[in-house]
Amino acid sequence: MIVCFVDDDELSAQAVGFARRLGDVRAVTFAGAYQPAAWAKALAAQDADAIVAAGSDRGNELLAHVGAVLDQPFAANAIALDGDTVTRVRWGGSLLEEAWLHGAPKLLTVAPHTQPAAEIGDVETLDAPDDGSPKVLERVEESSGGVSLRDAKVVVSGGRGVGSAEGFEIIEELAGLLGAAVGCSRVVTSAGWRPHADQVGQTGTKISADLYVACGISGATQHIAGAKGAKKILAINTDPEAPIFASADYAVIGDLHEVVPAISAELRKVRG
Amino acid sequence: MLVCGGIFARRAVFLTRLVLDAKPSDRPGDVAERVIAETEIVLGQKKLLQRLVPGLMHAFIFWGFIVLFPTIVLAAIDVAGGHVATPEWYRVLSDVFAVLVLVGVATALVIRTIVRPARFVGSHVAEGYFILGMIALVVITLLLWHEVDGIGFAWAHLIVIGVFLAYLPYSKHLHIATAAVNVWMARTRRRGRLEPLRFDVPDDELRFGVATIFDLTRKEVVDAFSCTECGRCQDVCPAHATGKLLSPKLLIMGVRDQLFVQSAEPIVGNGVPEEMIWDCVTCGACVEVCPVSIEHVDHIVDLRRSRLMVDSAFPAEAEPMLRDVERASNPWGKPQTERAAWAAELGVRVLEPGDPAPEYLYWVGCAASFDERAKKSAESTAKLLQKAGVDFAILGPREGCTGDPARRMGNEYVFQAAAEQNVATLNEQGVTKIVASCPHCFNTLANEYGDFGGSYEVLHHTELLSQLVDEGRLTPAGDAGSITYHDSCYLARHNDVRMEPRKLLNVIGQPVEMKRSGKNTFCCGAGGAHMWMEERGSQINVERVREAAETGAETLAVACPFCTVMLDDGVREVGAEMRVADVATLLAESLE
Amino acid sequence: MTGGKMVLAADAQALETKHLGFTISPHEECAVEEAVRIGGEVVVLTLGPAEAEEQLRDCMAIGADRGILLKTSEEWDAQSTAAAIVDAIRAEGPFDLILFGNESADAAGFQVGIRVAHALGLPVVTGLKKIEVQGARVRCERDVGGARDVYEAPLPTVLTVLEGLNLPRYPSVPGRLRARSKPLTVVEPGRPEQKLEKLRLVVPEGQGKQAEILEGAAQVVAVMQSLGVA
Repeated sequence: MIVCFVDDDELSAQAVGFARRLGDVRAVTFAGAYQPAAWAKALAAQDADAIVAAGSDRGNELLAHVGAVLDQPFAANAIALDGDTVTRVRWGGSLLEEAWLHGAPKLLTVAPHTQPAAEIGDVETLDAPDDGSPKVLERVEESSGGVSLRDAKVVVSGGRGVGSAEGFEIIEELAGLLGAAVGCSRVVTSAGWRPHADQVGQTGTKISADLYVACGISGATQHIAGAKGAKKILAINTDPEAPIFASADYAVIGDLHEVVPAISAELRKVRG
Repeated sequence: MLVCGGIFARRAVFLTRLVLDAKPSDRPGDVAERVIAETEIVLGQKKLLQRLVPGLMHAFIFWGFIVLFPTIVLAAIDVAGGHVATPEWYRVLSDVFAVLVLVGVATALVIRTIVRPARFVGSHVAEGYFILGMIALVVITLLLWHEVDGIGFAWAHLIVIGVFLAYLPYSKHLHIATAAVNVWMARTRRRGRLEPLRFDVPDDELRFGVATIFDLTRKEVVDAFSCTECGRCQDVCPAHATGKLLSPKLLIMGVRDQLFVQSAEPIVGNGVPEEMIWDCVTCGACVEVCPVSIEHVDHIVDLRRSRLMVDSAFPAEAEPMLRDVERASNPWGKPQTERAAWAAELGVRVLEPGDPAPEYLYWVGCAASFDERAKKSAESTAKLLQKAGVDFAILGPREGCTGDPARRMGNEYVFQAAAEQNVATLNEQGVTKIVASCPHCFNTLANEYGDFGGSYEVLHHTELLSQLVDEGRLTPAGDAGSITYHDSCYLARHNDVRMEPRKLLNVIGQPVEMKRSGKNTFCCGAGGAHMWMEERGSQINVERVREAAETGAETLAVACPFCTVMLDDGVREVGAEMRVADVATLLAESLE
Repeated sequence: MTGGKMVLAADAQALETKHLGFTISPHEECAVEEAVRIGGEVVVLTLGPAEAEEQLRDCMAIGADRGILLKTSEEWDAQSTAAAIVDAIRAEGPFDLILFGNESADAAGFQVGIRVAHALGLPVVTGLKKIEVQGARVRCERDVGGARDVYEAPLPTVLTVLEGLNLPRYPSVPGRLRARSKPLTVVEPGRPEQKLEKLRLVVPEGQGKQAEILEGAAQVVAVMQSLGVA
């Protein structure tokens, strides 16, 4: 029996899809305020061959707690489990690791956007008594103006090639036309051109857009790690050798300072 | 007279103590060069005479006072009752020079009241008039004494001189005492070299640049004493010309003001606004033009050093560059493994540890290794060297940033780590001759690595290519049309490389000069780590491209990867019909 | 690590690191910065090769008081890493606050901090972008897509943090020079049997996919329309 923790997100559907290929699945969840240690205790108490969750912030956190409670190894962001051999994602997805996952039950989370989603079906709500461990006391909504980076359907992002804080005007213009969120690479936040909240990457926001437009971004692995949740990547860069092109579906080789305004103009023209 | 002399002496002791208490400046021997500098710059008024009218104005007054000096003694003897007959020839000579001084003063007044050049903005104008008035009084009393021949005028002459003497060390006219000293102390060779800081000394000897006046070097103190507020530096400063806050003159005045009041407050934020020190592109135009050999760039770098290294305060947009120079060994943060990617197709030899040294090590530089536009120059240079049969190789992934942008930004620590690493690699490979593409690398390798145990014969690629053409190993044909050449600051001004690129361009096209060229070149805007900083206000590169476009040339030739990028951006911005290309690229094309 | 292409060493056990620079990862850098800002004695600890001393010195340069290096030439799984850290903390502690980066850039196990907390019997809150110590308690916040979840925990506690928590300072040179002489304890723990035992690393397929080259804005807009986003 595979116990799969589910949340109300798309990643959970992917995790269930993965779990079904391992065996019979019991989809479980919890009610009430999120209390990771207490929830994990309840998960750990289930009789299971494997305990699985999505490789989301919550999924990884819960399984780490389960691993600690049971003193068993936990493989985060797996893409395959074959007997005792797990294949998991490392270095933000630019490397895979094959490893023996000793012990039982098998504890793993499923790397986001690597598995097809499945119908979750019935979900059992488990009971997790408050054990006094830290839990969510309140949720503060942030009244940010624009579209949230994590949930945006389109993200237009700028990198070192944008050149300055003012240079982002053309990025914002295009994003405005597409109803997109504005993102950036790490070098841009370090330079103080944009706030960290706009950063796409392994240590920033991991996006899940339909289209990611990367302007003047060379494509360090740490950046790709945040961008590859996007279904399609369009990269604009002067350097045909830029690593971003290796991850891109569409490439425009040219200066973003010319290409981006041209796209905006074309969009306006097409819309009349 | 005694009172005046006393005031002067007291002040002189105070000022001398300030100099002696300052940190030692590392200025070695070179007596012959220093004597030549004194002769040309002080006696010959060479720098001043670059601008004819104000130059002659000053020269008349200066030469006049030298000739007139003995009149003080003669007047004193006269007053004391003794009588020495002034020889007639000297009387005539001194009268002639006295009149020349008056002509000088009159010219100065015309300049100040009618011409009113912008360079005086920020200078103490009233003080200027007072000094001119005193100069006039000195010679008028002299003339009256000579012509009317009364002891009263000898007295008047002496009293005027006495008052002037007492006033002098409290004013910007102090330069008459310190300018010659400052010229003597100025850099004689390796002018592009910054003085290294030492981090391997006991804590109490550590110096992280300049925070307060107590950190200044002796040269910097004498610099501050010597400024006459003439504003020539302000006139040629590219930052000032494009509306930035920086005026090298106001900066030196700010340091001087802090010095005179013995302020223990940090100079930056008090005497000198923070913005000023970060506006500088270290082009050295101010240093080149200064008639009293003030070295403004040293002040700026020293102030930056303290802000950056001690306070971690600097324009945030430069932080990725600093971190990348340190961690990735190049300011773009690109993987070093891709450094030699451009060279693979050309079959350029990459030196492996233990390989025999080539005749020339080709130091490519980060820009030409990683930047698309700058790469072309490296490719052209490599092709030309191959064609001419030069034995050369590159270091590939083991070539690291020379540290120049970190150093000019003020991070001496990161620079020295980079320098030590590169020197170790170069020495290990037995390199003796280097050809460098980037003038910034060139300057660092040639002028600065000597301080870290790396002594090489370093050529810029235009120098080596020019040699190869002279030797007939490359035979270019001339059909490249009209070309104007933009001198890179770090070649033309800091390192006197001006002829070689022009020699090459003479063969391959028709060169036309811009208004500001050679030693008087105008920066592209990238120096002093500005390649990685944002520019406020109007852009230096745009200003330079406009000037280039005025020549009507079809091609804007450059010899520096940073100039390439900046001016190419400028051409796009202005919409000028010009092609920006490295001299090496133009030469390679002329051979095809 | 800084660098672009992932190249494996011949034995497929590690990355080819020649010509690559190593650095402390951003989450951890923020953790150190936060600790220094909170104040008190700050001890910085890592498990890694001898060269990791450099990263510990970097942390001491921005204000950590001393360092502990759990020296090993091998890679350790998360469980044994946590166990070694627990031993070190028991030997050097007690500590009021134990900060971790939320996940490591390389192994990305998302679990060392949590395991340490369980072993020490301490509460733990993860993925934090804001920490406020208020007397004997700490109030902290975690981003959850457009909102922030608020947690509280009594001290001592374990917290794991994310980049963006603060802006780490650029190290001063006097700080770097001082860091050279700050105390560093080197311990060589024995590596237990690995329960998540690495067999090999693989460069995934699909790296280096062929992008379709678009010429001109019209083609770009056509693609956007076909994706239904324009």
